[in-house]
Amino acid sequence: MTINRREFMKATALGVAALSLPSLASRAAAASGPLIFAAAGTVTSSWDPTSHTVAPQITAEGFLFGHLTKCPMSEANPGEILPDLATEWSVIDEHTLEYKLRQGVTFHDGKPFTAADVKATYEYASNPDRPASAWYPGRVDVDVVDDYTVRLNTKQYGYPALNFWYVSSFLPILSAADVANPDTLKQKPNGTGPFKYVETVGDQIKFAAFDKFHEGKPAIEEIVWAYVPDANTRVLGLLNGQYHLTERLEPEQYLSLQKEAGLKTDRSLSSENKYLHFRCNKPPFDDPRIRLAVCHAIDRTQVLAVVAEAGQASNCHVSPVKFGFADVKGYPEYDPAKTQALLAEAGFPNGQGLPEIEYITSVGFYPKTREYGELITAMLQEQGFPVKLTTLEPAAWEEQLYRRADGQGPGHIIDVGWITGSPEPDLVLRPNYHSTFALINGISDPQIDQSLDKERGATSTEERLKILQEETLPLIAGKAPSISLFSSVFLRAMSAKLDGVKFYPNGPIDLSKATLS
Amino acid sequence: MAIASSTPQSSASPAPARGQSVNARILRLAWRSPEMKVASALFFALCLLTLLGPFIIDASATKISVADKFLPPVFMEGGRLPYFLGTDQLGRDLLLRSLVGLRNAFLIGVVSVVLMFVLGCAIGIFSGYRGGWTDVILMRITDVQMSIPVIILAITILGMSRPNPFTIVAVLVLSGWPIYARVARSVTLAERQKEYVRAARIIGASDLRIMVRHIAPSILPPIAFVAVLDVARMMIFEAIFGFIGIGIQPPTPTFGTIISGGTQYLLNAWWITIVPGCLLALSLGSLNLIGGVLEKSRNLVLQGAA
Amino acid sequence: MAFALEFFLRRISQGVLIVLAVAFVIFTLLRIAPGDPIRIILGPMATPSAMEETAERLGLRDPIPMQFLRYLGDIAKGDFGNSFIRGKQGGTTGGSQDAAGSPPVERAPVIELIAKALPYTLLLAACGFLLACLVSIPLGIMAGVKNSGWPQKVALYLSSLLVSLPNVWVGIVLIYLLSARTGWLPAIGYQHIGYVIIPAIVVAVELAPVMIRSISVAVATNVQDPFYEIGQVRGLSARTMLFRHVLRNAAVPLLNSFGAQMIGMLLGGLFVVEYIFSFPGIGLLTINAVFQRDFPVIQTVAIFASTVLVFINIAVDFASTTIDRRLKF
Repeated sequence: MTINRREFMKATALGVAALSLPSLASRAAAASGPLIFAAAGTVTSSWDPTSHTVAPQITAEGFLFGHLTKCPMSEANPGEILPDLATEWSVIDEHTLEYKLRQGVTFHDGKPFTAADVKATYEYASNPDRPASAWYPGRVDVDVVDDYTVRLNTKQYGYPALNFWYVSSFLPILSAADVANPDTLKQKPNGTGPFKYVETVGDQIKFAAFDKFHEGKPAIEEIVWAYVPDANTRVLGLLNGQYHLTERLEPEQYLSLQKEAGLKTDRSLSSENKYLHFRCNKPPFDDPRIRLAVCHAIDRTQVLAVVAEAGQASNCHVSPVKFGFADVKGYPEYDPAKTQALLAEAGFPNGQGLPEIEYITSVGFYPKTREYGELITAMLQEQGFPVKLTTLEPAAWEEQLYRRADGQGPGHIIDVGWITGSPEPDLVLRPNYHSTFALINGISDPQIDQSLDKERGATSTEERLKILQEETLPLIAGKAPSISLFSSVFLRAMSAKLDGVKFYPNGPIDLSKATLS
Repeated sequence: MAIASSTPQSSASPAPARGQSVNARILRLAWRSPEMKVASALFFALCLLTLLGPFIIDASATKISVADKFLPPVFMEGGRLPYFLGTDQLGRDLLLRSLVGLRNAFLIGVVSVVLMFVLGCAIGIFSGYRGGWTDVILMRITDVQMSIPVIILAITILGMSRPNPFTIVAVLVLSGWPIYARVARSVTLAERQKEYVRAARIIGASDLRIMVRHIAPSILPPIAFVAVLDVARMMIFEAIFGFIGIGIQPPTPTFGTIISGGTQYLLNAWWITIVPGCLLALSLGSLNLIGGVLEKSRNLVLQGAA
Repeated sequence: MAFALEFFLRRISQGVLIVLAVAFVIFTLLRIAPGDPIRIILGPMATPSAMEETAERLGLRDPIPMQFLRYLGDIAKGDFGNSFIRGKQGGTTGGSQDAAGSPPVERAPVIELIAKALPYTLLLAACGFLLACLVSIPLGIMAGVKNSGWPQKVALYLSSLLVSLPNVWVGIVLIYLLSARTGWLPAIGYQHIGYVIIPAIVVAVELAPVMIRSISVAVATNVQDPFYEIGQVRGLSARTMLFRHVLRNAAVPLLNSFGAQMIGMLLGGLFVVEYIFSFPGIGLLTINAVFQRDFPVIQTVAIFASTVLVFINIAVDFASTTIDRRLKF
């Protein structure tokens, strides 16, 4: 009920705004042209949201697609859920969730949004063949009750439907017609979001305001997503007025931009943790002792000192804005003596006899990766690990990131951030640590699998929290298929003329209510 | 045997003797110019600093100390000893890093120029002396090699594999030898007709012997004087490779990586980029001046002698 | 006329052979280097069988000479292949995790990518060259005519200074001084003609020392030549001698050094400068292509670059013979 009332008030307010905005908006657009967003990353060759786990594309999808629900993911209230395409949701039983859908929503191609679209989307996305199926707790059947009511049903697959509670704010809703025709899905994204896809020209993607957006046509007529891989270039472009908005600032850039007149900055904790993943299915990291030895050799306070404003300390494999976050007991701390003991125990005293270890990192996407890469390399070398650092341009790094069909990934340690737009911890844990996925590190550990399945199978939120915090997360910390270095804090800067922007902790930017004067 | 080995020497002696006196004259002439003295002194000072720096400066080029990051040079407010020229984004001493970079760049420059000189001149002399098909084929190979711009060749080879000092030297040698081959060949063509070579051949010296013992000593030193300029060029290439990210990989400091790493901090810590560049420009300037004066003196002496 | 015809036939056939050899070298280098192009085409999640199948279909498992011949055949038909990384619209795309994600036919044809980037590179090259000429032609002539005095000193010191400055560093310093600090000029990317100024200065800084030197040397040798004094004895003014005779004769060695050295330098310089300034020309395209392992782009650029070098050399040699009839080839 409360949801409905609040929603009603919001809708009225928006309706009034929508009536008065168009004339203003068109004048503003004529005066200032499109909003140019200097993005640190770019999209893949397929617009199909189920074809990737790539963060920048999720940000782009934020303009295009709607979700059943929205999660603002604040540190104070990580579990808050707001309506989006669904207006009400409830638990029917252990294996069933019900959603009431919003009426009068249309897709960019003009088709109305109904329960059939939800059914098609959920069943398609949770299909284990899809590369992004790792996001989702498992297969799901969707029962269409009527055109505007659906039930998510997990009975057949043997896990509680509650697992979709938070995931529903993350899965972009596709049109059933597109799901039936994968080519359209790949080439022309069609959602219910505030902006429609226009075209891609070189490294620029153009979006235009969707006039039938259910919350009212956005004031900003056009968005240009300019892929600018170099952090320095992004800032210089913002300074000379070429760009209006940029993301993933380096801490020093953030500090100096704060002093600039004509610019605004934004700093917020994200749902991203930065990890070093170990390739666990090849030597030397097939031995958990060597992985732990590395973890104990890294002084994370120094890493954090390098990362400065762009990081926040955390001792957990999920971010503080996630359900289940805790200061994990026994999380590996900096302790060179332990490193040496573990190395000796594994048969490599002082690192003698270890093969050359390649540490792969990207430069230009995440802040400070080169700097702390050098720092960690130095720390590991000090303990006798024969580490060499390879720094790659983001596109080349991404090509190296995921392990391949043969189960192996290049290099031995790889730096990555994992970011998802929902408080659901399994969006981090299952893709990375469950042996059926283990997308990057290739870990295959029955105990971890068992613990992950156990927490997924918990029937109440309290029980699940307890299992996560007391069993699953400490277990992962102890086996160390990866180490979470810190939690990312997003640093952004924008033109002072830009107002009303809302940033989600996982990257997407809500420009539907923004104005550019 | 005794005769065979002694006669060529006696007949060859005029050539090296003449060569030596020419070289000595070139060097003497060059030394007379004030530019040469200044440049040599500067270069010598830089070498000394590079060798002794790590011992007299109480800081480290590689030891990371995050607390000391972004310290400005001592002459600016906030700068402090022992960081004469400030520190970089990880608190490493910028002067020492630049000096290590200078040493690495210089070593790569010298090694690659020596190798391309030896390889190029050997092929050039062989090609010029042999003539005929050998000459045609070898010279067409230099054509091919010279038709690939250095940068394209370098980014292709170094960008595809993990670069290390050996591959970097190899790329530089690969792109540099044809010029030496061309020059050595054209000089050999002229030299082949000279009395002492004909004499050696009549006496029955082997081709290899003539090339190595007779032609090489008389034609190589003048080419070598100009090679000094190439050392500077190779050092610039090394810096460019480092900047693009296809040079020696971090954490080993090189000019290119220091400069490219510093560009992000241009607004708050300009010295990270500017300081090593100045040091590089200073050392290259002295090398170029030395090379330029040597080249000029060589031209004067050779024209005077001709 | 017969001379010209014979000259062109011989040199062009040689040139074509050289370009073919260059193409083969680069083609082979890319294929023996680590990194499987199929992996890049299909994305990291592709199954080994799908990879093998695609590799077979694209002929990447055939012996390299065979692949090369097929490649040449395609080129003859005007097809330089499609980029591995860039989509039809020319943008970079990240690695797709979807094995069925993106067949290579959906990627941008290399020739279109180059056609889009080439005008920018030509603009930058022309501006840089012009700027270098503005400085070095007057200075070079003045330094060459008089073998002493301040023009010669200025020329010597200026060229020694400029030749010692690495272009990457000059680029950064100029961005800092002229753009970031003062905001006088735009620097990064390309929106309008103003974006060419700073990169062009950097290109000019690299070219100027070589030009100053070759011009002054070429002029000096002619001034020392007896014909110069004879001309003056015959009552021709120094001015007439300089502009009608000295410069004409000096043009031959100049053209030679410009052809071989300058174009190579200009090409290399453009690559680096475009990279520093994110200037959307061929150089940036190529450097990104290398980082992204985009073989077809690298190959095509290498072929184009060597073709340009070879044919400029031919043109230079031909121009030399028409200016100075004594030269024969």
